[in-house]
Amino acid sequence: MANVLEVINVHRIYESAAGYTHALRGVSLQVSRGEFLCVMGPSGSGKSTLMNILGGLDRPTSGTYKLEGVDVADLSDDEMAELRASRIGFVFQSFNLLPRATVMRNVQLPLVYSDTPVSERVERAVKALHAVGLPADYYDHRSNELSGGQMQRVAIARALVNDPALILADEPTGNLDSATSEMVMQTFSKLRARGKTIVLITHDPEVCAWADRTVHIRDGKLLTDEEERAHHRAERGRT
Amino acid sequence: MKARDLAVETFSALDANRGRSFLTVLGIVIGISAVIAMTALIGGINKALVGELGLSQAQLVYININTGTSTTYNDVDAMAQNLTDYEFMLGTSYGSTEATTGTKKASASVTGVKPTYFRAMSTKFAQGRPFTDAEEAKGALVVILDKNSVKMLYGDANAKVVGQAVTLGNNDYTIVGVTESNGESYVGADSVSVVMPFNTAATRVVGNQDVAQIMGFAREGSDMDAVVKRTENYLAATYNIPDDKRSEELYVYSMKSLIDSVNATMGAFSMLMTVVASISLLVGGIGIMNMMLTNVTERIREIGLRKALGARRSDITKQFMLESICLCLLGGLLGVIFGYLGALGLSGLASAALASQGGSTMGIAPVIDLQTVLTATGICVFIGVVFGWYPARRAAKLDPVESLHYQ
Repeated sequence: MANVLEVINVHRIYESAAGYTHALRGVSLQVSRGEFLCVMGPSGSGKSTLMNILGGLDRPTSGTYKLEGVDVADLSDDEMAELRASRIGFVFQSFNLLPRATVMRNVQLPLVYSDTPVSERVERAVKALHAVGLPADYYDHRSNELSGGQMQRVAIARALVNDPALILADEPTGNLDSATSEMVMQTFSKLRARGKTIVLITHDPEVCAWADRTVHIRDGKLLTDEEERAHHRAERGRT
Repeated sequence: MKARDLAVETFSALDANRGRSFLTVLGIVIGISAVIAMTALIGGINKALVGELGLSQAQLVYININTGTSTTYNDVDAMAQNLTDYEFMLGTSYGSTEATTGTKKASASVTGVKPTYFRAMSTKFAQGRPFTDAEEAKGALVVILDKNSVKMLYGDANAKVVGQAVTLGNNDYTIVGVTESNGESYVGADSVSVVMPFNTAATRVVGNQDVAQIMGFAREGSDMDAVVKRTENYLAATYNIPDDKRSEELYVYSMKSLIDSVNATMGAFSMLMTVVASISLLVGGIGIMNMMLTNVTERIREIGLRKALGARRSDITKQFMLESICLCLLGGLLGVIFGYLGALGLSGLASAALASQGGSTMGIAPVIDLQTVLTATGICVFIGVVFGWYPARRAAKLDPVESLHYQ
């Protein structure tokens, strides 16, 4: 299977008034097409930084990140924006819907920025909303009239609508109760079954149970399951 | 991003902040109102003046020669021959007598004119007609009254008097026409104003062929100041008037000077209004910028989201610029409406003041033309661009990662 994304020895160093922060320390990662990868780590582990780089919102300080074979280092800001518009779908912890806009308009927002013809938009939005299982009665509701679970499903539909190469979800269940979380995870699972590539970032092991593969991130480095277990044993040994 | 998408975004953003948007554009509303009220009022006054005086009056030059020797119609014809600036020239004579109709009696001020006079003065007839050349040639006993005089002699300004007889001195005259009263009449309140053929007046009322007043009707498009100057020079040379006596013995005056002096007064007034409007628009523009900056700060997360979903910097810039321009245009639209209403109120006051003072019935209706509205629109777009630029750029430059996690 071809790799959708390839991360080779990526470092990310932030410069601020307080000094330098080494958020990613040589991360390498490959995700193949159709894979559902879970990146698990505690807060401050660098998982948000990794998510920003994978999503084309930020660039590595050093190292290479290729999405579908394209090295983002070669892209201008506008080309990065186009990449986000057409190849990446974001799902956020806090949904980030436009509160006063209808469900339909929210889902169509990425199509606006990828210059999709108006005539195609409704059809694609309906298809995406259908895929996440939101009933048609809600399409004309304002997004702030929905429940948390419904909002997150609208957000997932929005991530799907451009048929991206990669769906990136950052703590998608962080603001939801366990029953709703279960429903949202089932949605991701269904997308996985339909061949979508998903990278999900979380601190919750239960969420990672839905994924094909889990990598752990700690102090800016990726660990395999084995290394993570070794890490835990060492921690217990110390206490 | 398509124009349609931009329009949708702009509308929903303005709709979300209706109250605040309205308050913010007040500065623009006031500024544009001032501009519109000013131009509409000045336009109205100018139009009323031109209407009052007759458009052709701008081409009219009044000439008086006071050298002591009398002027006759032959002199007028000679002038018309030599002064090529004029389409034609005419002279009028003045006399006074007494008018009687059945029961009523009044003193009458008589003006003797040739038929071309009515064209020169663009006289409006309420009833009847001007004189004919034949009536002038044979010195027919015909007169034209104005509405005021009809009211004094018959009790009703609109009485049907054409064809009726009026006695002036020892002769009975037939009334052939009634003119609209043109503003203030020079005759006293207790005397009537009568116009008759020059020949008739010369033989029956005035008693000689003297011309009291000469009027020249300049060719269309003439530079009136130059015409007045050339006329003065010609007359000074012809009548041997030395330079130091010119101001006493020669009086050449164009109606355009009057219109010019009114315009000069209006100019001072409009300067003042322009200053007021400029200050108001500047303050309004700063208000717009302030609100746009607040908008950007409030919507940092939204901007971050849009960037994450693929908005380019230019998309964000366009979105906020259009919002600011639309705000200003909205203010401009309200300004045009309020400005027109304001001009309507002011001109009503001005007309009432004129009527109570001089009894003039000059009505001032504000004039608003397409050019004014387009200028106002242009000003609004300009303000929107100037004061929307900085907030829009600020929004566009926001870092997507930071703004997504902005609290």
